[in-house]
Amino acid sequence: MILNPDSLKPIYIQIAEWLELEILQDAIKSDEKIYSQYQLAEMFNVNPATAAKGLSLLAEENFLYKKRGLGMFVAPQAKERIRQKRINENLQQLVFEVVAEAKRLQVPPEELVNMIQRATQQAVKEE
Amino acid sequence: MHCIESKNLSKTFDKIKAVHDLSFTIEENKITGLVGRNGAGKTTLLKLIAGYLLPTTGEINVFGRNPFNNLQVAANLIFIDDQLALPENLSLEETLAAVGQFYPNWQAELARALLDYFSLQPRQYYANLSKGMKSSFNMIIGIAARCPLTIFDEPTVGMDAAVRKDFYRALLKDFMQYPRTIIFSSHLLSEIEELLDDLLLIKAGEKYLHLPLDELRNYAVGLTGRESIIRKMTGQEQVLFQQKLGRDSIYLVARNTFDQQTLQQARLQGVEISPVATDDLCIYLTAQHKGGIDDVFSRN
Repeated sequence: MILNPDSLKPIYIQIAEWLELEILQDAIKSDEKIYSQYQLAEMFNVNPATAAKGLSLLAEENFLYKKRGLGMFVAPQAKERIRQKRINENLQQLVFEVVAEAKRLQVPPEELVNMIQRATQQAVKEE
Repeated sequence: MHCIESKNLSKTFDKIKAVHDLSFTIEENKITGLVGRNGAGKTTLLKLIAGYLLPTTGEINVFGRNPFNNLQVAANLIFIDDQLALPENLSLEETLAAVGQFYPNWQAELARALLDYFSLQPRQYYANLSKGMKSSFNMIIGIAARCPLTIFDEPTVGMDAAVRKDFYRALLKDFMQYPRTIIFSSHLLSEIEELLDDLLLIKAGEKYLHLPLDELRNYAVGLTGRESIIRKMTGQEQVLFQQKLGRDSIYLVARNTFDQQTLQQARLQGVEISPVATDDLCIYLTAQHKGGIDDVFSRN
């Protein structure tokens, strides 16, 4: 995975978000060990201190817990809590932006809702 | 622990202040990027740290000692630039063997493997190498020496993009195996920023910024949209760069002291908010004027 240098987000936040995605997609499950700061530094080609910051960000939100001498592990229910957080923050933000663009283009709300429904149906079909 | 401590450091050449009243500290085992425009005083500063130059006024301490003419400091640091005085009558492999004797942590095997990887022939002579290959060889010495303080002054000059990328990764990998204090001056900030812990930006010999890289990313934002809206939300003191676009649009780079709500509001009013590449940001921060080259051509 390649970090996005054009993002406003600091690298350690991008790493934290990537780890969240790994948990959301069940790549790493509850009570399983997550990558170490050195593994992450290697993967993303970043300073290990930056990688450690990404991990501690998730630990602060209690998505990860520390086992002494063993490293960091995914907390129970981390997946569901990450899901809730992302709905409340990221998805909400995206919706704001979609609405703002629709307003600029003078797309009435009903048409916008229609567009979203069509996109949802297409996404379901592709699965 | 501090590896380097500088207090009101100044160095004057021919009455010109190359380094002026510079105070900063660099922590142990961190990678610091040193950036600044041509003639900003980067090399002078690095040479003061390495003890090659005597400060005009002020103080510099490396490992708690004055580095000038100090054996203890010299034994623990290596300074890599494009003017290394390497013996002309030794081949590359002989040079590595000779250089290695000076450094207690020397990694002979690593040096040999890197030499091989970068397609340098052991029997070649340094003087016959291309500019980029000379840089590669210098870099191999810098990494393999594993000095507690490693200074690279524009080490990638002449290297092609692929070699630079490999070099950054080699440095990172070896740093993880053997953490040490590294200072790295470069004009290619965008290439090295992810390796860095901290950035030291100097302008006309003075410290302009010294902060963790993460903070640099959030230091400024780019705003594109209607001039009237953008002017209303930004104070004059925040403006770092501006450029008119079309009739009443503007691209403005502002110090990011906005709260989330202001940015959200602006977005809803059609202002596009974009990150500012750290390279560009450093250019804006070190610029003499708030316009740019365009101003030179629009004088009359």
